[in-house]
Amino acid sequence: MAFHDTLVYINSTVESISAQFIRIPGSAIVLRYVRSSYQNDPMRSFLELCLFLFAVRYFLASKYSFAKKDFIKLSTKEVDDLVHEWTPEPLVAPLDETDQTEVEKIPVIIGISGPKVKLSTGKSVMNLASFNMLNLLGNEQIRERAIKTVREYGVGACGPSGFYGTQEVHIQTEKDISNFLRVPASIIYAQAFNTITSTIPAFAKRGDIIVADSAIALAIQKGILISRSTIRWFQHNDMDDLERVLQQVHKDFKGQPLTRRFIVTEGLFENCGDIADLPKILELKYKYKYRLILDESCSIGVLGKTGRGLTEYYNIPATEIDMIVGSLATTMCAGGGFCAGSEYVVSHQRISGNGYVFSAALPGYLAATASESMSIMQSSPEIFTQLLSNTRAFRAIIDKMTYMYSPSDPDSPLIHLQLNPEVLESRKIDDEDKFLQDVVDECIANGVLISRNKVVQSQEVFPVESTLKIMITTGLTKRETEKAAAVVKAAVSKVMSKVPKVKH
Amino acid sequence: MITSKEERRRRSSSIISHLQPETIEEQSDQAALPNLNANWVNNKGAWVIHFVLIACLKIFYDLLPGVSQELSWTLTNISYVVGSYIMFHYVTGIPFEFNAGAYDNLNMWEQIDNGDQYTPTKKFLLGVPIGLFLISTHYTHYDLGMFVLNCLACLVVVIPKLPSSHRLRLSVPELMTSSSWDS
Repeated sequence: MAFHDTLVYINSTVESISAQFIRIPGSAIVLRYVRSSYQNDPMRSFLELCLFLFAVRYFLASKYSFAKKDFIKLSTKEVDDLVHEWTPEPLVAPLDETDQTEVEKIPVIIGISGPKVKLSTGKSVMNLASFNMLNLLGNEQIRERAIKTVREYGVGACGPSGFYGTQEVHIQTEKDISNFLRVPASIIYAQAFNTITSTIPAFAKRGDIIVADSAIALAIQKGILISRSTIRWFQHNDMDDLERVLQQVHKDFKGQPLTRRFIVTEGLFENCGDIADLPKILELKYKYKYRLILDESCSIGVLGKTGRGLTEYYNIPATEIDMIVGSLATTMCAGGGFCAGSEYVVSHQRISGNGYVFSAALPGYLAATASESMSIMQSSPEIFTQLLSNTRAFRAIIDKMTYMYSPSDPDSPLIHLQLNPEVLESRKIDDEDKFLQDVVDECIANGVLISRNKVVQSQEVFPVESTLKIMITTGLTKRETEKAAAVVKAAVSKVMSKVPKVKH
Repeated sequence: MITSKEERRRRSSSIISHLQPETIEEQSDQAALPNLNANWVNNKGAWVIHFVLIACLKIFYDLLPGVSQELSWTLTNISYVVGSYIMFHYVTGIPFEFNAGAYDNLNMWEQIDNGDQYTPTKKFLLGVPIGLFLISTHYTHYDLGMFVLNCLACLVVVIPKLPSSHRLRLSVPELMTSSSWDS
């Protein structure tokens, strides 16, 4: 009997539901639709029903995120407790002992910088620690031009280049740079460090490939980093390794959509003073179809018979290189930087070079200074001969040292001095930087101002060797340069004599 | 024993692969600016336009001489499906320069609502092709050929929209090499 009751109950329920259903507006359409869609084809109707049910299930599901929520929910009390517990750190942390010595050891120059300067200690020294290699700093002709420009345009550009910041002098300087390097066009940036960090991301984006030398300067490393490109490093100046990396890239990215590819290297390496093998790099660039971004920050106005940089040094037209980036703040004694290349390369940066678009333009008088420096370089090319002869005179003495050697190119007026590996083994030198600082102090005491190569190791991709950094200048005569070399040599020997030998 | 060559072949023969999770840089670049490429689908107009487009397609196919009602509905369904597949599931990245290419690997469906599932827009966008399929099969009077066509078309856009196909990629290695630039 119970079974019968159940059946009756089910029947009545179904009837009442269908009676209710008919009362819903639009139910007739649904019924008609279901009736006509059934059409004696249960399989297909079943399929449609499944799809319908799936859609209903999907609509009723609540939202969820694939992103991991790895945070802890804190109660208001816990938040308050944490806030109370928190004691702010001082905005400027007190200096530790190393920093303190570092700060104390910085020499202070009284008056205008130049090849011979007076220190705050009252001592007069020969300045081999400045990029003033062509002695253009304080040049009367440049000074007059700068003063004239300040009178005409004021001190600052007061706006980004695309926003009322461009003045006649900027356009003239860009023309001067193009003429100087013999390239179709160039663009100037307001800050040397920001030039390469704008140029690289203007062209290289995520997914593009950059093959870079492992000894490039910090600015270039940062430029590559913010471009978000895929980075492959090759051993410093090792052309076989470069070729190996290019082949590896070719293999790894075979079959993937073609993206932009760049080789990035430095003309004269800031951290070791040697020179990139441009002819070989160009050969590989054409063979593997890459673009070349060459940072000539240290080599413009330094290398080549008339100071036109690495391209002139190797007698290669500058147009062979896709982008030449350089600094106006080194030997040109102005400020800012530039990128030179084809019309396309330059005009693209006018709307997508971050430093150009978003920073105030270079002050007019600095642009004028750079132009004037270039015209002096062109009108008196003999300064480069003198620079080279000073460099060779200095190297002739320095290269005879037993304790230190120079990894720099013999023609480079930017000279790095590094401790010999044998010396590091046989002598008890705990802190190389301290040893080098002692040498610097000894040199200053004897009338020669040089410097350690100061880098922030934590910012560098690869560790940079501790070196002394010496910059030859034409402001000193050959005899004075030789005297300075002798002082450096004697200082190294003197400091070394105090270092105990390792007992075996 | 498996030689290295066999191992490689075995790996490359798998046609289904998952996208790698984003790196810290990619995540920060994605968060740097609102994703204007995907956000507009949440607007009212973006919902209405689906119905407008479907109506336009239907009218267009009706106007073609010699096209029966059945064929017209099927063509409408297929056109809508092909269009929305290309838009939501085929094209990856963002056509504009907002995020330094941080979305280069993701198609539009995966960019919508930052990859969250079962959001109102996603429910709507899944509902439209299903509804269109049910209507088209109804008006094609259950002709088997048309039904199969409509059903396949529907599945083509519904399956990639499922949460389980999120960040999933199908790749046929043979096809990949033939389209390679240097082969």
